[in-house]
Amino acid sequence: MKGSVRLEGVVKRHGATTVLHGVDLDIEPGEFFVLLGPSGSGKTTTLRILAGLEEVSGGRVLMDGADVTAQEPGERDVAMVFQSYALYPHMTVAQNIAFPLKMVGTDPAATQQAVADAAGKVGIGHLLERRPGQLSGGQQQRVALARAIVRQPRLFLLDEPLSNLDAKLRLETRLELHALQRALGATAVYVTHDQEEAMTLADRIAVFMEGRIVQVGTPREVFSRPATVEVAGFIGTPPMNLLPARWEGSRLLIGSEAIAAPSATNAPREVTVGVRPGDLRLASAGIDARIERIEDLGDTCITSFAVGGRLLKQKSDRLPQAREGDAVRLAFAPEAAHVFDRATGARL
Amino acid sequence: MASAARPARSLAAQERRFALALLAPALAVLLLTTTAPLVYLGWTSLMRLDLAMPYLSGFAGLDNYVKMGSDPRFWNSLALTGIYTASTVVLQVVIGLTLALLVLQIPRGQALLRIAAILPIVLAPVVVGLFWRTLVLAPDFGLVDLVTRSLGLGSHNWLGDPQLALISVIAIHTWQWTPFAFLVLLASLATLPPDVYEAARLDRASAWQRFVHITLPLLRPAIVMVVILRMMTALSAFAAIFAATGGGPGSATEILNLYAYRTSFTELNLGYGSSLAVVLLAITLAISFVMFRLRRAR
Repeated sequence: MKGSVRLEGVVKRHGATTVLHGVDLDIEPGEFFVLLGPSGSGKTTTLRILAGLEEVSGGRVLMDGADVTAQEPGERDVAMVFQSYALYPHMTVAQNIAFPLKMVGTDPAATQQAVADAAGKVGIGHLLERRPGQLSGGQQQRVALARAIVRQPRLFLLDEPLSNLDAKLRLETRLELHALQRALGATAVYVTHDQEEAMTLADRIAVFMEGRIVQVGTPREVFSRPATVEVAGFIGTPPMNLLPARWEGSRLLIGSEAIAAPSATNAPREVTVGVRPGDLRLASAGIDARIERIEDLGDTCITSFAVGGRLLKQKSDRLPQAREGDAVRLAFAPEAAHVFDRATGARL
Repeated sequence: MASAARPARSLAAQERRFALALLAPALAVLLLTTTAPLVYLGWTSLMRLDLAMPYLSGFAGLDNYVKMGSDPRFWNSLALTGIYTASTVVLQVVIGLTLALLVLQIPRGQALLRIAAILPIVLAPVVVGLFWRTLVLAPDFGLVDLVTRSLGLGSHNWLGDPQLALISVIAIHTWQWTPFAFLVLLASLATLPPDVYEAARLDRASAWQRFVHITLPLLRPAIVMVVILRMMTALSAFAAIFAATGGGPGSATEILNLYAYRTSFTELNLGYGSSLAVVLLAITLAISFVMFRLRRAR
């Protein structure tokens, strides 16, 4: 099966600024692989390097074992869906989809058949004679998808393809996109800053921070065992609560409160303790807190607590008994605590 | 209701009257300076008005227009106008687009080139004509002659030889007005979406295919606009040719505009000269009408 990708020590510099600091990555054939990270973390640059639209300053790009670092985008057998869709505005939908085939002199009858097939797969068969300017954002996005799948490339690159759609359409398209990738069986590399999108779509996620990959894993692994405090603070809605603490033996000292640690340490050390909002609960004993705000979202409830000048969030499926302004105590199970080194941010 | 409507209507009428009063001076000047001369030109074209033979003056009806049909000099000037307009417009667009595509690749100094490109445009055409006649195309010491002699192609009478003279005036016009096409097309090229080109690169389009399938269609509105504007200028060209060759040698560079001028003010046949000018006006209007229709068609 074709479609494997490997990045070896890829460095990208723009003048004096280093955008990527030696990225290593292995993507398996047929995998839905998501590059996740905040703005400016280097994920889009990595995708553009895979496409061949950006040259590398160091390192190698391999596809199916072959070095493609110096190859032109058109020689790599990859298709890309741009954030802006990048449709050809002067061509009809049919001409847009047919363009990649026309450029390599595919027989017109075969092209027509391939265009009809691709348009059918994304449900735009009735729009073939329109121009991009006459289409909605969702329809344009499907044309871009059809243009990518028509040539059956070994690798699909998707650069935040859902970011210009409204919330409802985004959810629908997300599911369709996943089903389409599974049906085609092709490798897909997908860039997003939306961690929810990443969690629902990905077979595996690479989390980018400041030009480095800080963690690669399945959505479950990244969520349940974040490798660094930055990943912990980035993944999850609301993100993980982070509190400065001191780890002594098998105890975590948060302020004056001692809480059982998930394991024991030989020497006392300064750490950051992370607790998912879903793992935080109101208790008779624990960290002193005051309820700042209760947000009732219908099926869930987000409660914000002030704890020594910090804001902690709790996510629960029930409204708390207490009211805004009430003094309460917060606790969590020892195994729910994520402990990170205060200085390096690495998981302990 | 009726009483409420009446003051409103009278207020609107008052406003209209006030607007007309404000507009009137400008309108009067415009009518006097443009429409009145045109009407007078049309009227003169229907007259027999030859200052060399004033005793024959009188109303001629369409005689002047009928006369054109059997006037070989008219047909020659019409053909020259066609050749001159078509070749200068094509050259300006082709050279302007080529230069714009090249300059767009230059990472630095684009602003300087843009300023340099404005210089020929701001020169008065008569200055351009004289400058080319005396410094560029003069036999023996003109710049072009220096180049052709150094290349072993010999010295030529660029403005004296009938065939070379037409090529020379075409070159003069192209030199002066190509920067206009260059600037417009450069500005249009700079606004083309870069991601579309990236998509085309991924879609395996070669540089030539990207030019043919992406750049040219996206530039089409700008190119059509340049063609319309340059056609108008070429059809009404006068001063540069007048200064460089005066329409000669013989009638080798006598485009319709120059023929009308020579007939009216050298041969003093104002009636026939006016009818020639009216024909040029009609051709210009017809071409611009067709071009604007073409532009709107897509």
